[in-house]
This record gives sequence, C-alpha cells and structure tokens, in this order.
Amino acid sequence: MLFPTIDFALFFAFSFALVWALNSHNTLKKVVLLALSLAFYASWNWRFLLLLLASGAISYFVGLYVDAGARRPFRRLALGLGVALDLGILAYFKYLDFFIAQVLTLAHALGLNPSIDFVNVTLPVAISFLTFHAISYVVDVYRGRLAPSRSPLDIVLYISFFPHLVAGPIVRAHEFLPQLASPRRAGDFSFSENMLLILGGLFKKMVIANYLAVRFVDPVFTDPSQFSRFDLIVAVYAYAIQIYADFSAYTDIAIGVAALLGYRFPQNFNQPYRALGIGDFWRRWHMTLSNWLRDYLYIPLGGNRHGALATARNLMLTMLLGGLWHGANWTFLIWGAMHGGALVVDHAWRRSAAFARFGAGPIARVVDWAVTFHFVCFAWLFFRSPSLDAATQFLAGVWSDNGAPNTMPMVVLPLIACGALTQMVPPQTRGAIGAVLDNRGPLLQTAFGFALLYAIIVMAPSASAPFIYFQF
Amino acid sequence: MTPPPQRPASTTSPWSWARVIYAVFALTAFCFPGGMVDWLDERNASGWLAAPLALARGVDAASAAVGAKRVGEGLRKWFAQAVGESDT
Repeated sequence: MLFPTIDFALFFAFSFALVWALNSHNTLKKVVLLALSLAFYASWNWRFLLLLLASGAISYFVGLYVDAGARRPFRRLALGLGVALDLGILAYFKYLDFFIAQVLTLAHALGLNPSIDFVNVTLPVAISFLTFHAISYVVDVYRGRLAPSRSPLDIVLYISFFPHLVAGPIVRAHEFLPQLASPRRAGDFSFSENMLLILGGLFKKMVIANYLAVRFVDPVFTDPSQFSRFDLIVAVYAYAIQIYADFSAYTDIAIGVAALLGYRFPQNFNQPYRALGIGDFWRRWHMTLSNWLRDYLYIPLGGNRHGALATARNLMLTMLLGGLWHGANWTFLIWGAMHGGALVVDHAWRRSAAFARFGAGPIARVVDWAVTFHFVCFAWLFFRSPSLDAATQFLAGVWSDNGAPNTMPMVVLPLIACGALTQMVPPQTRGAIGAVLDNRGPLLQTAFGFALLYAIIVMAPSASAPFIYFQF
Repeated sequence: MTPPPQRPASTTSPWSWARVIYAVFALTAFCFPGGMVDWLDERNASGWLAAPLALARGVDAASAAVGAKRVGEGLRKWFAQAVGESDT
C-alpha cells in the first residue's frame, strides 16, 4: 500500500476519521493506530508482522532494564545484547546472502570449495528503518535522554507508526514518544500547509520522479551500452533529480499525513543540491539518517575528539556503514566510501588556512557548490547502478562514445529544470501560502486542494515506478 | 517560546479538515471515475464489493453525463501527447 495509490487514499480517509473520533480516549486511539499500522504493514506481507512485534518486544524489555536512572548491573551488556539482536535480525535478512557470496568468492579464489548454502529469504519491507527506530529507543534510554516507557503499546506504535514505517523519516524516540502521552490538538498544525506538503510530494513523485524514471533513467541504467555519451551524462543528472523528487516526496507525504493525524515528524530534506561542501550536503540530505549516524555511530566511535587521523577513520567508517545500510551491494559500499572520503577532504579543507583566506568569497562559493553538486551526481551513478560491472560499463560508455544516436526525450530537460526549481523556492513559501489558505476557510482550501490534485493526475504518466527507498 | 500562530476556529478543528479532505477526494473521484471503477472491479472477484462497484459505476455515468469524465480524460491525453508519451 504505497502513498500515491487509491488503496492508501481510502486507508487514510478511514484512519483520519477514526483517529480523530477517538482523540479524547488516548489509549483506545493508540490501540487503533497500532492496529492500522499493523494492517498497513500486513498489506505487503503479513508474515513479517511477527518481526515487527519482536522488534518492539526487544526494545521494550531492553529499555526497561537499561534505564539510566535504575543503576542496574550489566546495563551496558544488556544494551549491547539488545542492539546486537536488532542488528542480528537486520543482518540475517539483508546481509547474510551477500556475506556468503563474498566468502564463496574468496574461497574459490583460494582454490577451496566450501559447501555453504544461501539462505534466500525475502527481505521484509522497512527492515532497515524499523531497526534504526528500535536502536534509537534503547540507546536514548541507556543514555538517560529518555525515560523508559512502561507501555509496550507505545513502543510498538513508535516503531510501527504507519506514516514513517516504510521509508522514514527516521523519527527519534525522544521526539515521538512524548507525543503519545496525551490527546493531540489540531490547532497546533496548519492544515493547509500540510495539505500543500502532501500535494507537493505527490507532484514530485507522480510527475517528476515517475516521468524521469520511466521515460529515461531506468532504460539508460538497465543497458547503458545502447545509449550515447550525451544520454549517459544527462541520465546521471536526471537520476539526481529523480532520487531527490522520489525520496523527498515520500517523506513529505509521511510528514504531512502524520501532521494531519496530529503527530509531528522532523524535517528530512532541506534543498540538498544547494549544498556548499559535502558536510553541508549531509546536513540537508536525508537529515534524519545523517543525525542518526552522527549520534549513534560517529560520536560513539570518537567523533572528532582524538585528532585528525581518528576523525578521518570515524568519518570513513560511518559513511561505509551508511552506504551498506542502503543495501548489500558493492555499489552502495563504494558510494559510502566516496562520501566518506569526500567528508574527510571537506573536513580538512574547511579547517585549513587556505579556506580561511579564500573560502568565503563569491567565486569560491560558486566553485564550492559546483564541485559538491557534480561530486554528488557522480556518486549517484554507483548508487543507481545494479552492480559494479554495470557501473563500470556506464563509465566506459561516458569515456568512449559508442556513436549511438541521442535518444533523450524532450520532457527530460523541463523535468530536470522543475526539480532544480524545488531547490530555489524559499523554504518559507509553503508556510506563507498555507497561512493564507488557513485564513480563507474550507471552501478555498477545497478548491485549491482539488485544483492541485486534478493537475497532478492530468500530468502523471500512465506508468509508475516504485519508491526508490521502498527497497531499503 | 513562540506561541503557535492564531488561526480561525474553522480551520483548527479536525472535522473542518475532514470536510476538505473528503470533498477533495469526492471531486477527484467524480472527475476521474475510471480509476475507482477499475480498482473496485479488480478486487471484486467474489462479488463482495458489488454495492460499492455499482455506486462507482453510477458516479462514472453521472460524470460522463455532465462531461467531467471526458474533460479529465481529454486533458490527460493532451498532456501525454504534449510530452511525447505515446502509450496512453
């Protein structure tokens, strides 16, 4: 049940009325929200509901034990065990076959022939996201940032809440659990602003991302040898826009849907292609993942506290694991390594005397932007390629033109321009329009919402591509 | 702490939000009725959605009668042709 479908529209229409009708009965409302979230998850594969409940149970019991205020013995060990269980589930489903394949390749290279079978399990939807939510809770409780919840209902609902369940944003326990404590107030949210957020997300996904994927990016990356050098180069930039439009659309809709149910999620994107430097890019792209990696991986590894060499090692390790989080494939590891290396260089450059002298001028800022943007696009090539061989083939096609005619459809350039425009609109625009609509009342809100949805449906292509982050 | 901006009472109630949400859904379903009919038809193998399907077909007929369906389909075709999408 993906967001831009009739299934989800009906599901949301039903959930919305039910949740607000029960708002003054908070516990009952949470039970209903949990049932809705489990039904949402079961719409993909009901067998994995057990996994979701197991993750909630681990978090609940480990959270109670590792409570920073209780001073129990072996707290650290219990935390380690809880995190290892969460990561163990993730590793089994997502990485075991990849690991076995690497062992077999190495063994064959050494002339050995071990008999190891692949586990061949179906990857549960959202497993990477729910694991990070579960770890966030137990670590925050251990650190004393959050009191352990006495309510298993709250914990399972935090992990499974349907707007963020499949592809984020990664909502931290200390941000979400306090919101479950009392009935929600619609007056704390702007209806029109969130309606615009959802409709903007639908436009980015159904028009920009779907057209780019179906008409150009997917065919080019499926068989790069059939396309000209020009097509290959444009496809990389088109993919940069597609992945932004696709992923930011999902989280915009998630944030808007959660807000319409009375729950606040953190921002996940802030015009990332405007970034000046890779460090700045990661403060704007998938911000909730960046913050998670910083707080639960980079800082525990030592952060920047032990000198330049240790900082570089920690940045590399964090980004390598961040790359691997996206999938069990060498392409993601290379993508992570490229970003890790770039962060090391960026970190050193911004602390250098040369940067202090030349880095703030307008020309330096333009160069900074251009280098960052083109580096990010180049790294996307590895992220998008289905395998390392495919990425190499793609690069070979860029290096030596095969003479194929240019086939880029004309619609691609306006779509890239449209995606670029999303990076330039002042961030406060939506809030300002939302405030005007809120003040004008339901009739104008309906007319505006309907007109935008009508336009999106008129423009959407007949074919659709799945959400990119759905697979993670 | 900054207080939340003051909004008219008519837009701070979830039931006023519901009116807008359901109105937008209903208008969209009326202008593009084919999607709902197909969606229900695909799930009606055992006949348990016969009543909503009949309702959706009624909406489809009403939309066609007032020309809303034709305008929606025509605009979709026109846009698809304008951007060179030949398979619609």
